[in-house]
Amino acid sequence: MVARCSTDWEDAPGVSAQASAISDRAVALAQTDGRAWDAALVALRDAEAGAGPNASRDFALERKLEAAAAAPLEIASLGADVAALAAAAVDSCEATYRADASAAASLAAGGSAAAAHLVRVNLGIRPADPRLAHALASEQAAREVAERLGEPTR
Amino acid sequence: MSTYSALPDGDLVRACRAGDADAWNELVERFSRYVYAIAVRGFRLSEEDAEDVFQDVFTRIYLRLDTLRDDSAVRPWIAQLTRRRCLDALSSKGREMSADEDTLMAEESADLTDVEEAFAVREALGGLSDNCQDILDRFFAQDQSYRTIAAELEIPSGTIASRIARCLARLKEQLEGRNQGSERSRG
Repeated sequence: MVARCSTDWEDAPGVSAQASAISDRAVALAQTDGRAWDAALVALRDAEAGAGPNASRDFALERKLEAAAAAPLEIASLGADVAALAAAAVDSCEATYRADASAAASLAAGGSAAAAHLVRVNLGIRPADPRLAHALASEQAAREVAERLGEPTR
Repeated sequence: MSTYSALPDGDLVRACRAGDADAWNELVERFSRYVYAIAVRGFRLSEEDAEDVFQDVFTRIYLRLDTLRDDSAVRPWIAQLTRRRCLDALSSKGREMSADEDTLMAEESADLTDVEEAFAVREALGGLSDNCQDILDRFFAQDQSYRTIAAELEIPSGTIASRIARCLARLKEQLEGRNQGSERSRG
């Protein structure tokens, strides 16, 4: 919206196209996330209903949980991209819409943090997992942009 | 890359007419995916039927190239040949086209438009710098994040969005130039 409304901004059409592409990806990822989490829930319930340890069942559950972490991982990364795009917009869009771009970065940072949290939960407590590190880096990148754009001096 | 790959369509057609075997190879290479995409995506033919259409279309191109009046209009001519052969293939299969005929035709038309646009964009991309082609491919086709693009191309992450925007502006110019060119060749 910020890019579409900033008619004097040369890069606006290209930024708008990127925003549309990211939006399409987010919708597809949200659907994938829902399906993966449904499958993980079924596996979790099977595990809870089963008696005693079962290597095959536990392995299947772990695979489902890892699959359930994959979409949030991508979503966390998309959040960082949205924040970066918002930063590009704040720097060049029409002044009237700077607050909207800044708000978009804050929302993206929130989404990225929520997604990173889901990655952490679904992968269990394995701080060394590179996927978790990737999600946390995305969260941090989005948060830093949102904080910078939210500073009152801007 | 063959010496013919940079030839405009019209020059390539003239070389084919002169009996140049390498030019024929380039013509097949240049349009094979286009023909196949129309058959599979536009008309949803099976792979087997699409293969039959493909063979038949290129046989007809070979036999009838002399009948093409405007050499630069070879692409729409091939598209028309392919559509006709696809419709023949559907008819011979007795595909039901009664109650839903309008819907089906509308869907096929929309899919064909997508195919045409995709090939137009692909051609226009070829007119951009390697850097622009690469960054657009990474973002729009491979769905890479800005961070991944920045890391792999070793450029600052904060500049990726503007670089992509500028490359898109150049792509738009290429597409507009191409459309103006095709309008001139038709007029």
